[in-house]
Amino acid sequence: MAPGPFGPGGKEGSMGLMKFICDTERCIACNGCVVACKEGNHVPVGINRRRVITINEGQPGERSISISCMHCSDPPCMAVCPAEAIYKRDDGIVLVNKDLCIGCGYCLLACPFGAPQFPKAGPFGARGVMDKCTFCAGGPAPTFSEKEKRLYGQNRIAEGKVPLCAGMCATKALLAGDAEVISKIYAERVAKRGSGLSPKIF
Amino acid sequence: MKKTLVGLFGLLFLAWGIEVLAEVLRNYGPLSPTDTFQEFAGTVLQDWPTRGREFLKLAPSFKRYFLMVVLALPALFFLHFLIFGPKRFSHQGRRVPYYGAFTRVLHWTAALCFVFLLFSGLSVLFAKDLGAGSLVRTLRFVHLLAGFGFFGAVLPLFLIWWKEMLPASYDLSWFLSLGGYLSREKKPVPAGKFNAGQKLWFWLATVGGVVMFYTGFYLYRFEASVSTLRVYLIIHNALALALTAFFLVHLYMTLFAVKGAFRSMINGYKPLEEIKYLHPKFLEDSAP
Amino acid sequence: MAGVANTWGYGAMTNHFNDIRHSKLIFFIGSNAAEAHPVALQHVLYAKEVNNAPVIVVDPRFTRLAAKATDYVRIRPGTDTAFLMGLINQLIVNDWYDKEFVQTRVAGFEELKKVAAHYTPEVVEDITGVPAKEVVRIAKLLADNRPGTVIWCMGITQHHIGSSNTRACCILQLMLGNMGVSGGGTNIFRGHDNVQGATDMCVLSHSLPGYYGLSEKAWRHWCKVWGVDFDWIKSRFHSKEYMHKPGFTLARWYEGVIQEDKIYQYTPIKAVVFWGCSSNSQSQYFKVKKALDQLELVVIIDPFATTTAAMCEKDNVYLLPSTSQYETEGSVTSSCRQAQWRYKVVDPVYDSKPDYEILKEFVKRFGFEDKFFKNIKEIPEDVTREIARGTLTIGLYGWLPERIKKHTDHWHTFDLFTLQAKGGPCDGEYYGLPWPCWTETHPGTPILYDISKPVAKGGLPFRARFGTEYTYPDGRKENLLAAEGVANPGSEVKGGYPEFPGWKTDINVIRQALKRGMAPFGNARARCYCWNFPDPVPVHREPLHSPRPDLIKKYPTYPDKPDFYRVYTRFKSEQKPELVKDFPLVLITGRVVEHMGGGAETRSNKYLAELMPEVYAEINPKTANDHGLREGDYVWVESPEGGRIKVKVKVTERVDPHTIFIPYSFGGMFMGKSYAGNYPEGLVPYAIGEPANIVVNYGYDIKTQIQGTKEGLCRLKRA
Repeated sequence: MAPGPFGPGGKEGSMGLMKFICDTERCIACNGCVVACKEGNHVPVGINRRRVITINEGQPGERSISISCMHCSDPPCMAVCPAEAIYKRDDGIVLVNKDLCIGCGYCLLACPFGAPQFPKAGPFGARGVMDKCTFCAGGPAPTFSEKEKRLYGQNRIAEGKVPLCAGMCATKALLAGDAEVISKIYAERVAKRGSGLSPKIF
Repeated sequence: MKKTLVGLFGLLFLAWGIEVLAEVLRNYGPLSPTDTFQEFAGTVLQDWPTRGREFLKLAPSFKRYFLMVVLALPALFFLHFLIFGPKRFSHQGRRVPYYGAFTRVLHWTAALCFVFLLFSGLSVLFAKDLGAGSLVRTLRFVHLLAGFGFFGAVLPLFLIWWKEMLPASYDLSWFLSLGGYLSREKKPVPAGKFNAGQKLWFWLATVGGVVMFYTGFYLYRFEASVSTLRVYLIIHNALALALTAFFLVHLYMTLFAVKGAFRSMINGYKPLEEIKYLHPKFLEDSAP
Repeated sequence: MAGVANTWGYGAMTNHFNDIRHSKLIFFIGSNAAEAHPVALQHVLYAKEVNNAPVIVVDPRFTRLAAKATDYVRIRPGTDTAFLMGLINQLIVNDWYDKEFVQTRVAGFEELKKVAAHYTPEVVEDITGVPAKEVVRIAKLLADNRPGTVIWCMGITQHHIGSSNTRACCILQLMLGNMGVSGGGTNIFRGHDNVQGATDMCVLSHSLPGYYGLSEKAWRHWCKVWGVDFDWIKSRFHSKEYMHKPGFTLARWYEGVIQEDKIYQYTPIKAVVFWGCSSNSQSQYFKVKKALDQLELVVIIDPFATTTAAMCEKDNVYLLPSTSQYETEGSVTSSCRQAQWRYKVVDPVYDSKPDYEILKEFVKRFGFEDKFFKNIKEIPEDVTREIARGTLTIGLYGWLPERIKKHTDHWHTFDLFTLQAKGGPCDGEYYGLPWPCWTETHPGTPILYDISKPVAKGGLPFRARFGTEYTYPDGRKENLLAAEGVANPGSEVKGGYPEFPGWKTDINVIRQALKRGMAPFGNARARCYCWNFPDPVPVHREPLHSPRPDLIKKYPTYPDKPDFYRVYTRFKSEQKPELVKDFPLVLITGRVVEHMGGGAETRSNKYLAELMPEVYAEINPKTANDHGLREGDYVWVESPEGGRIKVKVKVTERVDPHTIFIPYSFGGMFMGKSYAGNYPEGLVPYAIGEPANIVVNYGYDIKTQIQGTKEGLCRLKRA
């Protein structure tokens, strides 16, 4: 496989595990990732697949991080879902099947990051089905179909592109792709920080 | 020999020194990434590392317990029926008015709603087996409506019955003999209008029902913190388990264990003989 | 820009964004680039991480940019010149300045030294609030880490001494010898994506396009370029006097309507056309509203129904929908003087018309279509060509549309660090042909005043704009041309030389100069002493509305300026020391990353409106507690002129206890009243709020009349 965000992968010829890393030294809380995701996937207002969280606001030590579904290796959401609507792909991306989802919300209670989002879609403000970051990999509907676009948003992974958020980040604080590849990029970045040496990929 | 030993130690020391230096250089800067992420953890994860993990252990286990209750209890009752059989009382003799018309309407409304609540609630836990999707989503909405219906019916029912449901001194001895249901004999048991078992069921269904309504309302709206909602869900499921178990008991008692009990709740009368044996204190209390 | 231009010739970002990657130190003053220029931050962070460059941020607020700083300096609003002069003084007093550079390429050093001597660290601490030790430490940092770059934005320019502020920044870099080198320069980040283009075309009231001014020579030059008769143009004016008289500025045009300050025009203004411009970005906004209510005609040409549309209550307003940038095409100029071609992506989607078409329709009806479009057959290419042909002052002659398009089409062939194309169809050229791009074959000038390269390859000396010799007030004479031996490689004259006569109007003069290896505009010294400025060397002057009456006495402002862009503008008469008693807090406004400009576009975007739905005031916890305010409360912010706005309270440590910050991008409400109903049907933005400019105080720069939004007083009242 060609090098890049989709890396050599764990097994020969297979895709590695997809992950996000947000470099808090570089994140300037511009929220570009948040808006790019919403615009590109036509997410309804009120749903935040991605958020920027800032600590120590206005004080030295102010830092920001961009958080979305982390596509955990052992997803707690998958473990508690009574409808078994959440599944994990071979490439590690965790997705929800909106046809199966019953909107009970157990996944939100299980998630450490608060990734599952629910629109107020039903009667008496009932929760609609769960929506969350798809790593821009669409969903269980046929790839590039109208249904996939409507329910889940873009499928950039199938096009060989990185998710919108990471692609949009100007300071390259947000990295997305094969865990091995981006860990290496990030580790090299941190190791060379302050040393006067430029990392291979800035 | 000495020289080689010294040289070896020197090399080891050097290696250790390089290791330390590398570690220091790796974390060059005022704050290492690990420290930064730990700073974020408090804000981002909040109480997930403790409460969240507990929740993860508990939440998936409820399906198991429900299955056990729903399968084991009926089996037990079937066994009981075979061994002890039902209590029969003559319906030819005098009948005493026991349940008013309004009371019966309330009871059956609450009962109907409760059945809907039970099935629609279980459909969430067993969603996978029902094919999930729009069926269960609809049932969730039914759960909401039935919840309001149940609450609306059980509240006046509570106001009507609560005095007669208060615990009495003889309730303990009723429990000790399990209301006489573990024998084929027809013996009078210490009970007023309602026996201790019925009282227990009443309080569970009403007070428990209020708790179910409260926690259920928040679980429907999700307008509380995730930490709170986790606690509410555990309470809701645990109480649901207790209510399901007791409901099955209630069903067995009223449909099988005491012949004619079902009809009593329809026409409002209980046969005098039944009262003499099963609710003797009721006659004393209501005697002119 | 006036301050920069008057120091060394051109007023624009001297290096380029990518060049910041070479900086060994980055000094931000009056800039919140993390929110106003987020994409540029990648270069800043590169320098910070790879070059280990200190990032110094000087700002009254601990902004999102300050969060990325290695050294943060909190400064009192409006005291930037004092701080900069303090740094300059340290460089001089400790001999840390670049002696060789100053001796060979700088004029007026002695005068600078005299004035700077006043700004000792103790004096600077008293004025700015920056500890004396910090002043010395920062100066040493600047001296030890070269080349360093100085970056600023509105925080430096939007003051009544904005021209002095910008000059002080320039002088700082001259002292450090950071000019004309990679990694150095004064990198002024412009605020909008084509404002440099607008500036170059002088969409302003005091000059014809290309900075030619309004003299007869200027008019004749452009008439020749346009192919139009000079006398016919003259006949369009009320009188010859008005042909050469600078008009009203964007900051004060409304005075031409309401005349609360005396105007110097034969008639009040009767009509205004807002063409791609918001009104709620103008200070003293309640006066703008008064003007809108008095005007006979208001025309708004914009893709969005702006705040202006809602503020017009009289039946005097017309909305002409223009297209967005995706539905039209043309060239745009970046902050760093590069040209890019914007291609049309889609035909106009709604009933809007491209600006060219709207203009054509107007011109047709005004009856001079044949004259207006004499040389224009193909729009916009012929327009670009005409601009190139006519703008010789900043060397746009090489900006042919074919060249610009070629660069945009092949932008991947240009080097990330030097902007130079390595092979490919643009080989050797610099991306976007940064001006001056003297001829059709010139590669562009990526770094201004870079004396190490031949002029024909992008090098440049300082401009000889102010003569060859000057006699200072104390009698000292100085040669203004560069020293012997200081010239670009290949220059016939191995030292300073005056400008070539006629270079501004004749391309052949330029070609001749280039052939001789010389710059058409001469080779001179940069000026520390600008004799054509009210303060030849920058000095501190207290803001008109200042919280320090004692300093008003020591550093008073200028005398009033009558007929200043046609309106009497108050300075001394407006400086009231007793104001601070009733208005104890300093008010500053600024940008936020979530919204842009007047906000009509961003507040109509549901996602951006979701991120920032309401206008708020940043208030320090101590100030909030003193006023009994809690997070989420509503508070009235009141200005000394009577403007008042109701905003939400945001309690934060970003501002200190004496300062309030309000983002300026909101509109649709006015002094507590909602004007949502005044928008055309269905066009109310998702987020509306009070324009902060209602309470921004009176105050304008002495040279450019830019509004002073970063200084002023206010008070808070619980709502």
